[in-house]
Amino acid sequence: MAIRSSQEAALMLNGFKNPGRIALIGGSSEIGMAIVTQLPENKSRQVILVDRSGEYALDVTDKAGRERVISKLFDEGDLDLVIIAVGLLGNNKDLSTADNLVAAMEVNYVGTAHLLELVADRMKKQAHGEILAISSFAQVRPRPDNFRYGSTKAGLDFYARGLALALDGTGVSLKILRPGFVRSKMTAGMDNAPFAITVQECGAYGVKALQSRKLVTWAPSLLKYVAFIFRSLPPAIFRKISSR
Amino acid sequence: MQTTSPSEFSGWGNNFQSRSHRVEVASISALQALLTNTADDRGFLPIGLHRSYGDSALNSGGTLIDLSALNSISIDPSTGVAVVGAGVTITQLERAALPLSLFPPVVPGTGFVTMGGAIAADIHGKSHHRTGTFSACVRRIKLLLASGAVVDYTPKDAEFWATVGGLGLTGAVLEVELQLKSVTSNSADVSERRVNNLSEMIDVLASADADFEHTVAWIDLSGDYRGRGVVSLGNYGATSVKAKSSDSAGPTLPSIAGKNFITPLSVRAFNEIWFRKPLKNGPVALGKYMHPLDGINQWNNIYGSAGFLQYQFVIDIGKEEIFERLFAGLRSLKAASFLGVLKKFGAQSPAPLSFPRAGWTLTLDYSTKVPGLEKFLQEFDEELVAAGGRIYLIKDSRVSPALISAMYPEINSWREIRRTMDPDGSWQSDQARRLHLC
Repeated sequence: MAIRSSQEAALMLNGFKNPGRIALIGGSSEIGMAIVTQLPENKSRQVILVDRSGEYALDVTDKAGRERVISKLFDEGDLDLVIIAVGLLGNNKDLSTADNLVAAMEVNYVGTAHLLELVADRMKKQAHGEILAISSFAQVRPRPDNFRYGSTKAGLDFYARGLALALDGTGVSLKILRPGFVRSKMTAGMDNAPFAITVQECGAYGVKALQSRKLVTWAPSLLKYVAFIFRSLPPAIFRKISSR
Repeated sequence: MQTTSPSEFSGWGNNFQSRSHRVEVASISALQALLTNTADDRGFLPIGLHRSYGDSALNSGGTLIDLSALNSISIDPSTGVAVVGAGVTITQLERAALPLSLFPPVVPGTGFVTMGGAIAADIHGKSHHRTGTFSACVRRIKLLLASGAVVDYTPKDAEFWATVGGLGLTGAVLEVELQLKSVTSNSADVSERRVNNLSEMIDVLASADADFEHTVAWIDLSGDYRGRGVVSLGNYGATSVKAKSSDSAGPTLPSIAGKNFITPLSVRAFNEIWFRKPLKNGPVALGKYMHPLDGINQWNNIYGSAGFLQYQFVIDIGKEEIFERLFAGLRSLKAASFLGVLKKFGAQSPAPLSFPRAGWTLTLDYSTKVPGLEKFLQEFDEELVAAGGRIYLIKDSRVSPALISAMYPEINSWREIRRTMDPDGSWQSDQARRLHLC
C-alpha cells in the first residue's frame, strides 16, 4: 500500500474496528511489514514508516530524536495503532564486544521502552489506540549462547507487561508478541532453531495478537508450552542441554 | 455542575467505544465558565441522547456536554410558536403540543432525539416530501459559541445554516424557536399496502406523495432481495384515539450476555412474519405512528456487544438501478437486515451539510460481523458517489474521508463559516477527526 503524506485523508478507527492511521517504528523491520500487510484490508489506511531516513527519520538511540518524532506523529493526528519493531539481534558471538552489547541494550531496551512510554502518554490523551511491542522467546531464561540479547528483551518484556497494566481503563491497549526463531534477513547465516517460522507466519501471529484479548501472543503458539518447560527444568539439566 | 471521570460511551450502533469526560450543565453561565476555564486539546462536544449510530456524538479524550437540563417548553397557543430548551425531546414536545391541537411538522423515526440533536442532524421524517427537514420550521436558534458569547441566529444568517446539520461543531444549541402546525386530533389516518417487489414499491411511493402527508416503506432485505415490503401512507386524522400520555416507556430489551440475535435465519423468519402481518387501515395515535420502535427501550441490544451499523444513502430519481447492484451484492454476502426503509425525499434544505435531497433514500442495518461487509460497503460507496449519491453522516461509522467533499460539495464553505464561529477548534468530535470535517 502507498505511504501517503500526512496531509492526505487518514481514517481513524472505524465501526469495523479496522485501524486507519498506523505508525510502524522500525520501518525496515520485515516482521513489522509482515504484520502491517496482513491486517484486514482498509482502503483509507495510512501507514507511516519511521526509519533511519525519510520524513520521520529516527535514530532509536537518540533520546531527543525519539521525543521529537513521537510528538510529530501525534501532533499530525490521532494514531490507531503503533507497532514498535526496532531491534538489534545478536547471538552472543555478535554481542561479544562491550560496544555491541551496549548498543543492543540501547536499542532493544532503553530506546524501545522509552518509545513505548512516549507513545503510551500521547495515546492516553487521545483515549484510544493500540500498541504492539515485539519481545522474544529469548527472554524466558538466560542461556550461555544468547543471554546478552535475551537480557535486553527481558527488560523490555517486563516494562511492556507493566505498562499494559497501567493502561487499564484508559482506552489504550498494549499487546506483546513473543516470537521464537524467525527466518529473516536478521537471522540469515544462523542455524535454524527448533520451531522456526517464516516472517509471513510471524506477521500473521502479530495480527492475531492485535485481535486477541490476551496480553501476550507467542509465535508459534506452542512456544507458550515450550517456555513453561524451559523455565521449569532443574538447573543441572538446563546447563547440560544449553551448553551443547 | 457534575463532572465525571472519563467513562466509555458508544453510539447507538455500539460499534464505537470512546472514552470521554461527561459534564452535565445546569445553566448557561455554568457552561460559559466551563468553556473559558478549561483548556482542553481534545475539545468539547454538546450531546443529546446518543441516538446517532456511529461517532457523531463521541469525543475520545475530550469532554461531552450534556444539556438535558435545558428542558423548558413554552408554546403560544394562538400562533403555534414554541420556544424550547435544547434538552427537550421530540416526544416531550409532541406531548406538550397535542393538547393545544398542535404538532411539530417534522419528526424523525424516534422521539428520543433532543432539540439540539434535531438541529445537529437536520433530521427528517416521513413527511419530508412535503415539509422538508426539521430546520424548515425553525425560526431561531440560540447558540453558545466557543468564546462564551450567546447569539441568536435566524434563517437569514449563514451561521444558522452552518449549525443546521453541523453535528454540534459550530456551538452548543441552547434554545430553539419553531413553528408548530395545527392538527385536529391526536391521530393519523394510516393506510398500509403490501407490495411484492421493488418496482411495485417505487411506483406506490411515487404516486402516493401527492395524496399523503407521510409516506414510507419497510423493505424486506433478506432472502432473494426482490424488494417486497409494506408501504405505509398516512395523513393527520380527525378522530381522537387513546394514547400513552406518560413518559414511562415500554419494556426494555436487555443485553443477554452480549449475544447477537440477528442472524440471516432469524431475520428471514422475522421478515416473513412482518411481511404478512395484518395491514393497518384506520386511525393510529400520532406518537405510535411516528415512532414505532420507541415502544421497546434499547432495541439496539438485539445485536449484542458486536454492534451493528446503519447505512443510509440518497440517490437521484432515475438512478434506481443502483438498488439492483446493492441488493445483488448483499445477497451474495448472505447478509440480512430486519430494518430496511425506503422513502422518496423532496427538495434539500439550504444547509451545506444537510443530508436529504430530492431522490430515493434507503436505510439498512447490518451486524458488523457480516463477512465481507466492510469491503463491499467501501466499494459501494464509490459507486454511490459516482452516481451522484451521498450518505447520512449521523448514521455513518465507516465511510472514507476521501469521499466527503464529493458527497457534500459545499463542505468548504461550511468549513469557512465554522472557522469564524470557532477559530480555536474548541468543538471537536470523533467523527470530525475521522472524516477531517473541520
